Amino acid sequence: MPNKVIYEVRNVSKNYGAVVALDGASLKLHAGEVVGLVGDNGAGKSTLVKVLSGAHSPDGGEILLEGVERTWHNPKQALEAGIETLYQDSGLAPHLTVSQNVFLGREKFTKGIFGKLGFLAKKQMEAEAEADLQAVGIAFPSSNRPVSQLSGGQRQAVAIGRAVSWARKVLILDEPTNHLGARQAGEVLEVIKRAKKKGLGVIFISHTLPHVLEVTDRIVVLRLGKIVRDAPTSEYTADTLIGTITGTYGSDE
Amino acid sequence: MGNSIQDSQAPSLLDKVKTSFRNQSVLLVATLVILGVVFQIASEGIFLTTGTLATVLNDWGSYILLAVAQTFVVITGGIDLSVGSTVSLSSVVAGWVLVQGLHLDSSISGDAAIPYVLLAVLVALLVGLTVGALNAFLINILKIVPFIATLATMGAMSGMAIIISGGMPLQGPNDFNLGIPYTVFGVQLPISTTVLTVLIITVIAGLYLHKTRFGLYTYALGSNPFATRAAGISPARHITKVYMLSGGLAGLAGAYAYIRLGAGSPSNGAGMELYAIAATVIGGVSLMGGVGRIIGIALGTLVLFTVQSGLLMVKVVQVSPSLKQVIVAILIAAAVAVQTLQKNGRK
Repeated sequence: MPNKVIYEVRNVSKNYGAVVALDGASLKLHAGEVVGLVGDNGAGKSTLVKVLSGAHSPDGGEILLEGVERTWHNPKQALEAGIETLYQDSGLAPHLTVSQNVFLGREKFTKGIFGKLGFLAKKQMEAEAEADLQAVGIAFPSSNRPVSQLSGGQRQAVAIGRAVSWARKVLILDEPTNHLGARQAGEVLEVIKRAKKKGLGVIFISHTLPHVLEVTDRIVVLRLGKIVRDAPTSEYTADTLIGTITGTYGSDE
Repeated sequence: MGNSIQDSQAPSLLDKVKTSFRNQSVLLVATLVILGVVFQIASEGIFLTTGTLATVLNDWGSYILLAVAQTFVVITGGIDLSVGSTVSLSSVVAGWVLVQGLHLDSSISGDAAIPYVLLAVLVALLVGLTVGALNAFLINILKIVPFIATLATMGAMSGMAIIISGGMPLQGPNDFNLGIPYTVFGVQLPISTTVLTVLIITVIAGLYLHKTRFGLYTYALGSNPFATRAAGISPARHITKVYMLSGGLAGLAGAYAYIRLGAGSPSNGAGMELYAIAATVIGGVSLMGGVGRIIGIALGTLVLFTVQSGLLMVKVVQVSPSLKQVIVAILIAAAVAVQTLQKNGRK
């Protein structure tokens, strides 16, 4: 890898009661690199995502951002450190508008006394949300429409646009092409490629293996909470990737 | 990028008509007009007068505060059943401080009573904020769902109100002029000082709900708590603020009740939570969270008052006051049914 390691977890573990969700997983992500994270249901992908995004604290192991050990007590700390996460199916508040979603948690206020009282700069945020999403390369309807009125593809576009436009170091995308048609999924993959060119480290979690093989530089395979293979994408074929995911005792549901 | 994502275009005229029928405010205004006409006829012409409006607003001012408070709570996806007993408790504690604490009685009235009335308002507000904080503690720390948490405080606070008051109204200093409608150049307005205060609070609350970050987070929490937390917002902190706002407004409603009656009574808030929830639901707030506008609440509250007060003025048949609760219950059921129909129509 030509670039420096931007985000790293070493030997992280997480148990839910008696269930071992993550068992000593280690992962390195370089700047400008797209790493695919794959595994069967229950392999620990979502848990690893939650550890990386600060939603869950690991029971053991280390998290390093640009070589410095960090501890996330909540997602806000990870966000403020430049790590953006797009969660599977639940990244947006459907009753809020596009711009309200894009700026959620980072609102801009009007100038003067009303801003101090918490009044929001609605027009400014709408204009900026529009510009940000366009810069990411995402077409979307008017930014003052509620997200609930958008189609599944449009929602996903907004969610990804939000994550890409705010991410400064790391972008974690959990199943971003789920429920999307071929054309919209293609657009999402283009957005990922552009994020990579911007120098972001991208973690791409997906069940859709052709997408993983197309867009990633490296693929990490999880099985039963452990990382069983971590190799450049060129070393996998569709068949060997499936074989690694299912393993000897894996099931394909 | 392709325009596949841009598949929805500007709404057609037909869509606009459909949308306005689904719009809660349009429905509510239509309902109000119909109710006004019906009651005007049934009351033989005494319903639509300034005097009636003044009486209605004065009687129902504290309910407006509770409806506003409930709006914020319900939009987060919660519910606050404790508001009625908070009204009782806060009015009783305010009365207790003046009567038992300061040994004052109702002989102090008019302007001389104003400092004591302000003290009563402050005490009632503090009691309300405390109950709100207690609700937030039960919900955030003990992880009890809002319905049960506030049901528990509802029972506890109404018991406390009876214990502190000894079951009797505590009559203290009061300036009844605060509740008397203003007369300007010989014309009676439907507005008194207390009603005006309530209306100002409602407008400010509306601005906060729709224009500020506080309101935005209220909607966000009710819409998708997971996304809200993922956006770096602390749900617990916002829940605390919202239930303290609800408690604080219930405390002010308790002060309103004290000023209206000149006494803190353990029955001041009895059953008020039902009306507060009814007003919000009729006003278009979804009990599922994330939906509702202050204009809808204002109209919903008006519909509720119109029905309640109008029934008392009907001359052709005598309507029993006990029937009012039944009618409120029917209105809640009807409002929720309309919401469901609107939602299904949208799909």
